[in-house]
Amino acid sequence: MHPSIRNAFPYIALAGLFSALAWAVSFGTLPPADFSFHNGDEVKTVDPALAYGQPEHRVLTAMFEGLYREWPIGYEMDEQGNVISEPEPDENGNYPVGSAPGMAESHELSEDGRVYTFHMRPGVKWSDGSPLTAHDFVWSWRRTLHPETAAVYGYQLWYLLGAKKYTEGRVEVGDLVEIEMPNRPRADQPFPRGDIHRAKLLGIARPREVRPPENASDEDKEALKATWRSGWVYIVDHAAGDTESDSEPTKIAAYSKNIVAGDWQKYDTEWLDGKKPASLPNKPEKCKQLLLDFESSVGVKAPDASTLVVTLENRTPFFIDLTAFYPLYPVNRACVEQYGNPNWTRPDNLVTNGAYTMEFRRVRDRMRLIKNPAYWDADRVKLEIVDAMAVKSATTALNMYLTGQLEWVTDVPASVIPDLIARPEKDFIPTPVLIIYFYRLNTTRPPLDDVHLRRALNLAMDKQLICEKVTQGGQMPARSIVPPGLPGYNSPLCGEFDVEAARAELAKSKYAKLPGGIPKIEITYNDNDTHRAIAEVIQQMWKNNLGINVDLKSLEWTSYLDAQHTMQYSVCRAGWVPDYPDANTFIDMWLTGGGNNETGWSNAKYDALVKQAAEEPDPDERLRRMEEAEAILMDELPIVPIYYYTGKNLVSPKVKGFFHNALEKYPIQLMRIEE
Amino acid sequence: MGGVVGFLLRRACWVVITLWIVYTASFILMRNVPGGPFDSERKLPAEIQKNIEARYNLDQPLLTQYFDHLGNILFRGDFGPSFRMTDFTVNQVIAQGFPVSASMGIFAITFAIVLGTLSGIVSAVRRHSVWDVSFMTAATLGIAVPNFVLASLAIVVFVFQLQWFPAAGWGSLRQIILPALCLGAPYAGYIARLTRTGMLEVLGRDYIRTAYAKGLGERRVVMRHALRGALLPVVSYLGPATAGILTGSLVLEQIFALPGMGSHFVEAASQRDYPLALGMVMIYTCLLLFMNTMVDLSYAMIDPRVKIETQ
Repeated sequence: MHPSIRNAFPYIALAGLFSALAWAVSFGTLPPADFSFHNGDEVKTVDPALAYGQPEHRVLTAMFEGLYREWPIGYEMDEQGNVISEPEPDENGNYPVGSAPGMAESHELSEDGRVYTFHMRPGVKWSDGSPLTAHDFVWSWRRTLHPETAAVYGYQLWYLLGAKKYTEGRVEVGDLVEIEMPNRPRADQPFPRGDIHRAKLLGIARPREVRPPENASDEDKEALKATWRSGWVYIVDHAAGDTESDSEPTKIAAYSKNIVAGDWQKYDTEWLDGKKPASLPNKPEKCKQLLLDFESSVGVKAPDASTLVVTLENRTPFFIDLTAFYPLYPVNRACVEQYGNPNWTRPDNLVTNGAYTMEFRRVRDRMRLIKNPAYWDADRVKLEIVDAMAVKSATTALNMYLTGQLEWVTDVPASVIPDLIARPEKDFIPTPVLIIYFYRLNTTRPPLDDVHLRRALNLAMDKQLICEKVTQGGQMPARSIVPPGLPGYNSPLCGEFDVEAARAELAKSKYAKLPGGIPKIEITYNDNDTHRAIAEVIQQMWKNNLGINVDLKSLEWTSYLDAQHTMQYSVCRAGWVPDYPDANTFIDMWLTGGGNNETGWSNAKYDALVKQAAEEPDPDERLRRMEEAEAILMDELPIVPIYYYTGKNLVSPKVKGFFHNALEKYPIQLMRIEE
Repeated sequence: MGGVVGFLLRRACWVVITLWIVYTASFILMRNVPGGPFDSERKLPAEIQKNIEARYNLDQPLLTQYFDHLGNILFRGDFGPSFRMTDFTVNQVIAQGFPVSASMGIFAITFAIVLGTLSGIVSAVRRHSVWDVSFMTAATLGIAVPNFVLASLAIVVFVFQLQWFPAAGWGSLRQIILPALCLGAPYAGYIARLTRTGMLEVLGRDYIRTAYAKGLGERRVVMRHALRGALLPVVSYLGPATAGILTGSLVLEQIFALPGMGSHFVEAASQRDYPLALGMVMIYTCLLLFMNTMVDLSYAMIDPRVKIETQ
């Protein structure tokens, strides 16, 4: 090596170090946001069809808007956005939340409660200035429901007539079907773009099913079945390109998603009305998808640009609330088709229809939202720039809040909750949310088959103590299965902690007089520190207050689910997060033989009341029926409610328009900063 | 110079082989971990599960997936879409996270080198002085205290008491300082000890005595004659130090809410985001191999006794 290089080396190294350092500290400056909030984990996607989870919810409701939008009941503003009236909180600090018209101006409901006719708001636009019409909803919902979209929350649209069948790809002979040819411009696009034609399904020919080997896993069996299904041949009355005619089938055609070797005409075939057509094609043609015909058979239609007609399978009283929920938001067809999936969600490409658009997005840092001037209600949106910060650690978020970097924190560390509640600013108000922690009791096993004993177990449980000393997260002791906070619904309550009453109930039990004492009870829970701590405390309470011996059994998650499902337990811990904001999601699971009942409990009167509620056209009466049903449940206690989860929102006092609620719906477009 | 080119060529060959082995091993390990990227508590219907898998090419035989994915990386430089952050491709995630991690790493390593060598030199030259004892105590503490403890203390003091720095976040110079100092602290400690030991050894050599005998001042002897030899152990330590700084940033990224790559590395693996995890492993492997090569080269530059072998 030449000495000159060697001598120059220290200077080269230093120069390199300095230039690296200069690069490392060079930052573009970012204008500050009007409002920054803690959005938790990184948003997985801003595609409303594919999103699920709270962080996604917060940004999607800011950027998109459904037919209706989330709105506190009784909150009114004038044209300029000055508040005219504010709702009153309930005794827990929660405000009632419902829905207000959004992209739709109004709707009408048919007599039978199944057909909604939405009238679109005149002049609503996408953020690129193009008009938003009822057709956008039809296209967006079709995309969400299409099997290849694989929308996790797609089932929120299954209330629509035929929607579930469409997603699951089930067809029956006699159905009108849509056949998509394998000519998509881009094969990876998960929505139909190839040539599609409609036809009537005349027959389904199924090849012989291959038996899975004895030792095959469930997944392998599923996979084998799926392959077998893809080889089915569908015989329809029109070929692609053939003119459609209602009267006379012109040309019989056969399609299959997966052409397998062999003579398909030897397959076991199911024909419409048992009639086999005279002539059949020798080989089936390959198709990309064969689904129930969306246009004719799924319950959403746009007769004109300003009218959307939605037909449901059954009366669904909470459907209007669902239209304000993000899986039912529209997406811009031109944008999705031009950029494809997932590039249409890039900030530069994304077209939205809500109060905000996305300016930029940095993974695990922030999503910057700016006010959408094309939004129909933009005059009443006060915050111009909003940062949704992807901060995972609750402690970090708290630090940022305390130093003024955030105005709203959505989760705080459990250990500091007592200190936060005591703050003079009164900026932390833990209010109950719609999630319940409870114990299932196996009513088919002695001694839990005795209602007096079950009541005694509930009365002997000091839930206040569990919330204050064990969970310590500000949770609230529960005395009903439906958590408080659903507008118009008042839960009947089960007995409160009372040792004397518990012993009196126990004395009435048939097991009290047994010579051998009361049989042992076992509490099953999935392996987790909190679940174990709670079970240990309850074990002590039942032992001390009732003299019942209790064993604890911890299982790993899947085994625990299995034990619960097969009812191989006597007492089992459980939790329930609602699918939709309606008491029914907590009530209908206890029907006789219901899939999530898992307690063996059955009550004919309860079943009748839940059925009456489902058929009741009057919304108030419907809630009364469900309250009556819950009263039975809270009297017979096949489950013991333990506590309601609480929201952990820490909100700066200068933020106005923030309404705590049990549904955790906080529309950012209502918020404003007042110093 | 021919020696250097030959050395680099041979090194490049080994890098390619190493990368391939790392890729293959990671691919096999990852696919053999129980659970898949689309598992969730709410079980998806079989049809939907199948559709998702088909979209991400997961329904193909494992060997086909391996060659498809490897081919995409080699010929298009494309690591594929992220399974969990579905709006992004792995390349986009890396493109956003890498500058953050690199900024923080460069800052931390510069801090570690400057502070470490200076205090090491002072400690060696003024052996057994108050300076020596306090520097070496600080160095030992810096090595012993885990960086999340250091970060918590730093936040209490500098954010809440003195209010010099913001609590967390990314985007300005003030936001980078605290995490970089916490990240660099243990390495500064190591470098200080290495410099001190190296310096003490060199200072006892004959040529240093000769230099003093010629009447040179202490500053000149130390900076000009002793330092070069004393820094050799430090240079060889820089390779592993860079590795440590890059992978050790995970906890600090969480505490300071920094959008670096460390969190992706861990979460991609735990969420079975196969392409992202593979992308992360490959990026880290490349960085390590690159740093090691640089260290080997600079070693030869500093020490005349080290020859780059041409054979």
